[in-house]
Amino acid sequence: MLVKTENLKKHFQIGRGQNLHAVDGLSIEIAENEILGLVGESGSGKSTFGKTLIGLHPATSGKAYYKGEELPQRFTAADHLKYSRELQMIFQDPYSSLNPRMTVLDIVGEGISIQGQHTQSQVKELVAEWLIKVGLNADHMSRYPHEFSGGQRQRIGIARAMIIEPRFVVCDEPISALDVSVQAQVINLLDELKSSMGLTMLFIAHDLSMVRYVSDRMAVMYLGTLVEMGPSDQVFFEPQHPYTKLLIESNPEPDPRLERERGFVPIQGEITSPVNVGAGCRFADRCPSMSEQCQRETPPITQIASDHVVSCHLFS
Amino acid sequence: MTDSILEVTDLSVEFATYGGRVKAVRGVSFDVKAGETLAIVGESGCGKSVTVQSLMGIIPMPPGEITGGVAKLNGKDILGLTSKEANEFRGVKIGMIFQDPMTSLNPTMTIGDQIAETLMVHRGMGKKDAFDRAIELLEKTKISEASKRAKQYPFEFSGGMLQRAMIAQSLACNPSLLIADEPTTALDVTIQAQILELMSELQRTENMSIILITHDLAVVARMADRVAVMYAGQIVESGTVDEIFYESAHPYTLGLRAAMPSNKTTREKKLTPILGSPPDLFHPPTGCGYFARCPYAMKSCEKMLPPECLLTAESNHQSRCWLQHPDAPRVQELFQPARTQEEAPDAG
Amino acid sequence: MTDSTLLKTQLQAVSNLDFSPSDTVQSAEQISRPSLSYWQDAWIRLKKNTRAIVSLYIVIGLALFTLVGPILWQVDPALQDLNQLSQAPSLPKQAIFVEEHTRWEGIVLENFPAEPEAFLDVLPAPTNLRTAEAATTQAVRIVWDPVVGAGGYAVYRNQHLPESINDLGLPLGTKLAGNEVSYEDRLNIEGRDYYYSIVSTDGYDESDSYITLKVTPDLAITKTEALSRGLITEESIVANGETIDLEFHPFGTDYLGRDMLARLMEGARVSLFIGIVAPFLYVMFGIFYGGFAGYFGGNLDAILMRFADFVVALPFLLFMILFKIAFGIGPGESGVLPMLIALVLLGWPATARLVRGQVLQIRTQGYIEAARLLGAKDHYLIIRHIIPNTMGVILVTLTFAVPAAIFTEAFLSFIGMGVAPPTPSWGSMCNEGVKTMLSHPHELFFPALFISTTVLAFNLLGDGLTEALDSRMRSRE
Repeated sequence: MLVKTENLKKHFQIGRGQNLHAVDGLSIEIAENEILGLVGESGSGKSTFGKTLIGLHPATSGKAYYKGEELPQRFTAADHLKYSRELQMIFQDPYSSLNPRMTVLDIVGEGISIQGQHTQSQVKELVAEWLIKVGLNADHMSRYPHEFSGGQRQRIGIARAMIIEPRFVVCDEPISALDVSVQAQVINLLDELKSSMGLTMLFIAHDLSMVRYVSDRMAVMYLGTLVEMGPSDQVFFEPQHPYTKLLIESNPEPDPRLERERGFVPIQGEITSPVNVGAGCRFADRCPSMSEQCQRETPPITQIASDHVVSCHLFS
Repeated sequence: MTDSILEVTDLSVEFATYGGRVKAVRGVSFDVKAGETLAIVGESGCGKSVTVQSLMGIIPMPPGEITGGVAKLNGKDILGLTSKEANEFRGVKIGMIFQDPMTSLNPTMTIGDQIAETLMVHRGMGKKDAFDRAIELLEKTKISEASKRAKQYPFEFSGGMLQRAMIAQSLACNPSLLIADEPTTALDVTIQAQILELMSELQRTENMSIILITHDLAVVARMADRVAVMYAGQIVESGTVDEIFYESAHPYTLGLRAAMPSNKTTREKKLTPILGSPPDLFHPPTGCGYFARCPYAMKSCEKMLPPECLLTAESNHQSRCWLQHPDAPRVQELFQPARTQEEAPDAG
Repeated sequence: MTDSTLLKTQLQAVSNLDFSPSDTVQSAEQISRPSLSYWQDAWIRLKKNTRAIVSLYIVIGLALFTLVGPILWQVDPALQDLNQLSQAPSLPKQAIFVEEHTRWEGIVLENFPAEPEAFLDVLPAPTNLRTAEAATTQAVRIVWDPVVGAGGYAVYRNQHLPESINDLGLPLGTKLAGNEVSYEDRLNIEGRDYYYSIVSTDGYDESDSYITLKVTPDLAITKTEALSRGLITEESIVANGETIDLEFHPFGTDYLGRDMLARLMEGARVSLFIGIVAPFLYVMFGIFYGGFAGYFGGNLDAILMRFADFVVALPFLLFMILFKIAFGIGPGESGVLPMLIALVLLGWPATARLVRGQVLQIRTQGYIEAARLLGAKDHYLIIRHIIPNTMGVILVTLTFAVPAAIFTEAFLSFIGMGVAPPTPSWGSMCNEGVKTMLSHPHELFFPALFISTTVLAFNLLGDGLTEALDSRMRSRE
């Protein structure tokens, strides 16, 4: 296992006695060269989890492991520097993830400049190489972020993360802010880089179809907890957890005949607040199969197949 | 054949900016029939929002200008009205809901008051009656505890509920047409399913037509009866939803479909992106707008704009592409009815 | 089938179609427009804003006025030109050379009685009132014909034509004999119109009739005076009656005869010194304070901001006075230093808040997290990422702080709490000008004009800068 978490929790104090349980005990494993997709709706805590894992948020409790070694609970700048060659991230918003006052050369070269092991001209060469790798022109390096489209900016962000050749990359909703035709460009690029560099990825998104396409395994989060995790196709085509079922069924397909045949009636109700969550299954108030036990007890994580786990009383 | 509620012919809209004039909409024509859902699909910058906003008359006319075209609602011209005349149909005969409900509703008024306002202004109802009717409308859009909710402010609602409230407001005057501009783009997928379902249901019970603007082909597949695909200010293909998906007659439509993963796409078949970016609308191309990105582009496409060709008369399937010419080369997967002896291309 | 026939006929009408493939996609990633950095883009935007550019020129002009002006116009602002007190702005005046003044004996008629022989009921006014010689600012000598029955004459002087016997003006003096028919006026004569009136008296009462003469004295200057003022040199040979150019005061003089232009330049120095140095200092301090609070956040931020709130609550005027006392500066001494200190000590919270807000906002941006992940340390983040992105806000704050400080200084000097005479500042010049506002408006007009123009120019420039810098390069397509 390259990356592993054990009951990782991240809570935020938002005012007196108000504890926001963003990530509430997530235990996952990611094997080397694997892409784990992490889906969930807004408020599920998936982005927070990604950031906590690589140290951008200090963990409230629980542990995270990288290559068997325990990662610090709170990362100092020195820790980040130490792990920068291993753990990297691609950010969601291409408009705010690039410093508007820096040239592309500065932005992409920042990682290796901080490492301090290359001369200026070497940095320039590397940056040129990577700009071409991500499908831009080398002479773009003297330009500023605002001159590029969303898709191009995202590719600059990818170049920035990849140039220091990490092993594990967290992709935090890398395509949500992009147009459909451009999303495919970025996905293909990530796929290519993954194969050529032998990367391991945590792919966080809310677009189920895209996650299924991209990832080997898929994990579903709801209100900070893991509800189901298994091979992507299995989770997508044979969802076990009621929430996963709801997600899959709500997800429209670009196929009119299929949509007409579906006849799905969506469940009413919305996600509840992640503040001061008590015991019991978080999905209980929306679940069609809700029982009294569900309201009382938090369901344990049950293994239902060799690589497929569910957190639901229906299976325990 | 039901009559068209809305007929738009050759609409063109330009904006004067300090960089020049942007030709945002360039000769767009479409109809919407009673009880039908028309989806206008396109990526950001293609002009779909500007099109419907100029129909509603909510584009500020100093920088914006309607430089051509006619739009008729039930036979009456709706462009070039005075603002008094426009007020009579805007919100009354045509309702509109927007993408971000948080910013589309007034944060300083309760939801009930905002809906009641529409009724008081357009229907001359008294405050109490209007408020009661507002509660009824909220119930119609499946907001629980509607009477309590009507007294709350927008910040107390979640995204999905706000969208319902906005739908309730747009229904207040029983419009015959509802324009929904990316209504679910900002919502989670489960909430999106609820809202889309609500819209379908309301369409049936209120006998409304809907124009749905979106960039998501999957939403189109779920909701639309007819589809118009827009690119660079023009409609490049229009037809029934089945025709668009299974008999795509324009390379852009093919490109959009190939760029999306569907449940049949396995990892062995790569997603095919559309390379490049949309053209500069300050100086739009004289030929086909999609020329620079089209994998099947031909020499003539650069300078000569293809006309809208009618492919199937009874469903009004149209496409703007030189590949529809009888002598044009065969393109795999493209629906080219003018080429007689070929078998029908792969559907979907 | 009918459909495709329709289509065929539709399209076949178009001929000359070239169906060969075209290479298109390779230029897809080109960016044709030249690259613009943040500042270049801001400058282009600023140039398009006419008001802002005009203001910029005014500010530059002002800077030149203050720094280069005194080199070009070398007049001592404290020098008093007693010939030209409260002079309105005009072209250079000329003065006639005269001898040193000697006492005039006047004219006493011999064959006319000094005392009246008989007291008349109606005493007529004297006639033939005329000047004995050319009237100059050194002396005006008037002469009249005697009146039978007069035992003396009263001489009046007014600055406008008298309308009645009660409007004769300033009583200059009385002749106590009927045959003394001359008078020499030496009282503060300026080079303007005067109206001398003579009334006959019989020794007891004044008559009701008068005669008026309008006299406009020429400016006169003696050789010694001219020498002492550097208008002529030792060797120059000048004769009486020749004219010489007096000092030129393009903006006129004040009530003490000091050149307005020179005073305005000196005043500019004082006003702008305070107006620029003070904001500079407190903006610098505000940046560090606010940046620190915004970056570290949490309790530190809360404490720092509460202290800033406290400072805002302090009354400015009171502190000014306290500082003046503390520094032991009495009334009449220049108070530049206490004003500067008060401004700096009390003016920083606004900037601190602004910068803090900006820093808080920048902290949430993705590029900060990305840099942290790459191993950036705190100071690197601050210097390389945060500060460059706050530059816009800082620049705008400075541009608005300057006119506020200038105005504050002007106001304080105007009410006497700031810079005191003789140090000129525009505010104190306004204070002095108010006293002669009705008679010599130019003394108030010019300093007020300068203050208003400066403050307006800086404000408009600040506006233009805000617009130019704030429409950040977030071009979303």
